Amino acid sequence: MILTVLTFLPLLGALGLLFIPKEEENLLRGSAITIALVTFGVSLCLLFNWSDSGFNHVVDVEWVKSLGIHFHLGADGISLWLVLLTTFLMPIVLLSSWTAIHKKVREFVVVMLILETGMIGTFLALDLFVFYVFWEIMLIPMYFIIGIWGGDRRIYASIKFVLYTMVGSLLMVVAILYVYVKYHDIKGVWTFDYATLSKLVLAPREQLYCFAAFALAFCIKVPLFPLHTWLPDAHVEAPTAGSAILAGVLLKFGTYALLRFAIPFFPDATIAAAPLLGVLAVIGVVYGSLVAFAQKDMKKLVAYSSVAHMAFVVLGIVAWEQKAIDGAIYQMLAHGIATGGLFLAIGVIYERRHTRRIDEFGGIAAVMPKFTAVFLIITLASIGLPGLSGFVGEFLILNGTFGSYAALAKDALPQFLPHPKIFAAVATTGVIFSAVYMLYLFQKVMFGPLTNPRNRDLPDLGKRELAVFLPLIVMAFWLGIYPSTFLKTIDPAVKTTMTAFKEKLKAQTGVTTVMADSGGTPQPEAAPSAEGGGAQ
Amino acid sequence: MTFDISQLGLTAPLFVMMAAGVILLLLEAFAGGRQRGYLMPITVGFCLIALGLELTSWEAAGSGSRSVFSGLLSVDRMSIFFDCLFLSATALTAMVAGPYMREHRFEFGEFYSILVFGASGMMILAAATDLLTVFLGIETMSIAVYVLTGSWRRNAKSSEAAMKYFLAGAFATGVLLYGMALVYGMCGSTSLATIAHEVPRVMGDPSSTPLFIIGLLMIVAALGFKVAAVPFHMWAPDAYEGAPTPVTAFMAAGIKAAAFATIIRLLGYTFNRPDVAIGASGWADLCSVLAVITMIVGNVAALRQDNIKRMLAYSSIAHAGYLLIGVAALATSGANDARGPLLVYLFGYTFTTLGAFGVVAWLGSRKDERLSIDDWAGLGSRHPAAALAMTIFMLSLGGVPPTAGFFGKFYLFRAALGKTNPWMTIVIVIAVLNSVVSVAYYLRVVMAMYFRESLREPKPLPSRAVAVAIVICIVLVLGFGILPDWLIRAASEAIPTM
Repeated sequence: MILTVLTFLPLLGALGLLFIPKEEENLLRGSAITIALVTFGVSLCLLFNWSDSGFNHVVDVEWVKSLGIHFHLGADGISLWLVLLTTFLMPIVLLSSWTAIHKKVREFVVVMLILETGMIGTFLALDLFVFYVFWEIMLIPMYFIIGIWGGDRRIYASIKFVLYTMVGSLLMVVAILYVYVKYHDIKGVWTFDYATLSKLVLAPREQLYCFAAFALAFCIKVPLFPLHTWLPDAHVEAPTAGSAILAGVLLKFGTYALLRFAIPFFPDATIAAAPLLGVLAVIGVVYGSLVAFAQKDMKKLVAYSSVAHMAFVVLGIVAWEQKAIDGAIYQMLAHGIATGGLFLAIGVIYERRHTRRIDEFGGIAAVMPKFTAVFLIITLASIGLPGLSGFVGEFLILNGTFGSYAALAKDALPQFLPHPKIFAAVATTGVIFSAVYMLYLFQKVMFGPLTNPRNRDLPDLGKRELAVFLPLIVMAFWLGIYPSTFLKTIDPAVKTTMTAFKEKLKAQTGVTTVMADSGGTPQPEAAPSAEGGGAQ
Repeated sequence: MTFDISQLGLTAPLFVMMAAGVILLLLEAFAGGRQRGYLMPITVGFCLIALGLELTSWEAAGSGSRSVFSGLLSVDRMSIFFDCLFLSATALTAMVAGPYMREHRFEFGEFYSILVFGASGMMILAAATDLLTVFLGIETMSIAVYVLTGSWRRNAKSSEAAMKYFLAGAFATGVLLYGMALVYGMCGSTSLATIAHEVPRVMGDPSSTPLFIIGLLMIVAALGFKVAAVPFHMWAPDAYEGAPTPVTAFMAAGIKAAAFATIIRLLGYTFNRPDVAIGASGWADLCSVLAVITMIVGNVAALRQDNIKRMLAYSSIAHAGYLLIGVAALATSGANDARGPLLVYLFGYTFTTLGAFGVVAWLGSRKDERLSIDDWAGLGSRHPAAALAMTIFMLSLGGVPPTAGFFGKFYLFRAALGKTNPWMTIVIVIAVLNSVVSVAYYLRVVMAMYFRESLREPKPLPSRAVAVAIVICIVLVLGFGILPDWLIRAASEAIPTM
């Protein structure tokens, strides 16, 4: 029940906001922030009654009976923190756009809240149909955010964003249908249930095609090199709030869904494709970093840094080692906070100067000391300085990848990455690179003489802006100093996923399609109650 | 030939509509005058009466023989399902057409009468179980629509469209008749039930097989013309563009659905045998090839259109392509598994198209039809409700959830994947990639409305009827996108009988 409320609260709020006259801009902004804060409050309630086994707070209502579609939501250690990240960032982002968005304010807040519903629903969906519907619902609001409130090339960027995402997601829908029809062929039951379908073992060849379709959709979203070209355009053209949500939350869907759907569904294909994904991830780390270093536009620099940081996450996932996956999820959270924060910080500068060119700035530290401190902390968090959010994730990923050979051998699993130590070693250069380009950005903008006369009277952060950054900074420290708050729920969920994967891999007997659970007829209705430990 | 008076009861909705046609004609002739505002509500009223009759006969139609007039028509649940579509489409078209014709100064009473006769033709077609009634239905429907297309007499484009449509249509009729003659000649009957019975014998006889196959292909070609499948689509863009916008909506929604009703009866039931037509899997391959060509041509051509009606015309061609996948699935997955998805798809498509053309008709004013996509710039700020409506229709046509268009597509693709036939999987992948292309041009309209500033202030039709029609379409498109269960059940129960 709580998950249904959580998912639809922003949508209901958005519908309510339609009744506020559009001239009442401050009322609209205030109400939207209130709705987002209430949603955050509701999402915090997920932490109560939490059980580490299976899914919590499961909602399972029949939706379309004749097709076996259930409105099925649930949270586990993997989705929990991502949902909290979403609900945490949304009020901050809305607050940050208080003055930045002054055109069509009502439309803006409505679209943002619809987007929030889409994002929460996608993280929580345990029915493939529901997942797909939310996945697509997310797309349209973001399209409008880029297209209406974006920069000069917004039309190009918005359509590129939509088409890239659509190619992936529509091929994914074919794969979803394929699995669904296949399951019906074998068991005679129509179901989109996550737990049920994830037990289906397809022939390796079928797995490869379906995995390709899923992985394409998710890698576009991540975005993994070479599918990343939509990202710099979308980021540069999107308004600050759009960039922050895009980088902070939307990119996580790729890696989340890879871990949640593509890998558990198609284990053999995963093992076959892991070297490729690993190589692309490593290329992404190095390439993203190098390209970031060459940028003249701050937003583009941060956008390419996202390409590099998200490639780390992919590497951690395909290494398939407990620590590395923990680290990957941790890195998603840390990246959400740090990069979201970076985009908001750039938004602060942009709002004052209406330019994002790095060479327009220099010596800002003299006029904006508070902002400099905030920017420094977020930059360091993004680089991965020990004690700040970025460190833990990157360290776990690299450490886990480095040791994945032994760990997988101990479990008698085939190797995902050949020579994982080399992968880890190459990826480590990314950590150094990120320090280079981020500190370069910081130095160019903040230090040196204040040469540009137009920067002389820039006002420092106001109270509202401090309120935007304060929670982000608190979270950056929290994630860096006391990771076990988060890891203690992430770890068991990852363990469950890995165990299920291992069992499914073993259940395979030859090339014919068989079921992982060979006994009894599946009862999709009964599945959640058997698995979900939490309250309804 | 026996005639049982009770059979009239089964066909009551059809007679209501035919009576409505006559009454409207008489009203125009004798009670006419300059004020014709009352004709539209009367038309809508008759449609609602017929719709009510249809809905109340649904329960009874589930069992027993529904054959009437010595097997010429079968008033089964499938025909009722389609009739409901046609009647709603007619009512919605009338609601838009009245204010539209008044604005553009060409309202005349016969319009409603012809519209209603066209709808009766569609109803005959949906129930036709004999080649004769198929022909009768197609002609009644087509001739009415030729006239409607040319009804804006002072508009040269309208006359041109009517002429083109009529000439090409007359040719298609000829092909249809020739095909029917050949099939009749080989099978010895015009009744679909008898033909279905005779098909094994004809296919087993090498001397009659070729002529039978040629006849069948000619029938398929003529029906392909009606649904605007490539390569029989040449008339569609011109006819769609030239026809008065409400008529275009009626053509796009009604004619397509009616022709598909016949296609389902013929290919899904009468000729549904693997050995019929050419190739290893019979007409399934033929249809899937047609589907692929139709989708690609429709979508790619639509990308290049600047006129919204032409764009929607090509989009309608593309949708015929998606529907043909469903027709191919009638053979590969079984007629009863694929029929439901086709009906659901047609339902979503009908109301989405009617709504989209409704908004197009609403936007134009006298001497300024606003058909170029550039004319839609800035509608998002000037008329947010209309822009939102158009956005919903465009997303539904593009197949984005949660709309009926999405659900129809999803359900159709599921049926086509039915037996995980590798070739059908490839066709579905092509269809899906086509959907991505289609999103690009549907979003052009959305982009113009929201992302660009308006150049000229539009003067939309000051009519409540049009607004009501659009709202009805939105409710249906979103309602069945979010809660499709009821529709799915109705469609899967809509089994035709012979």
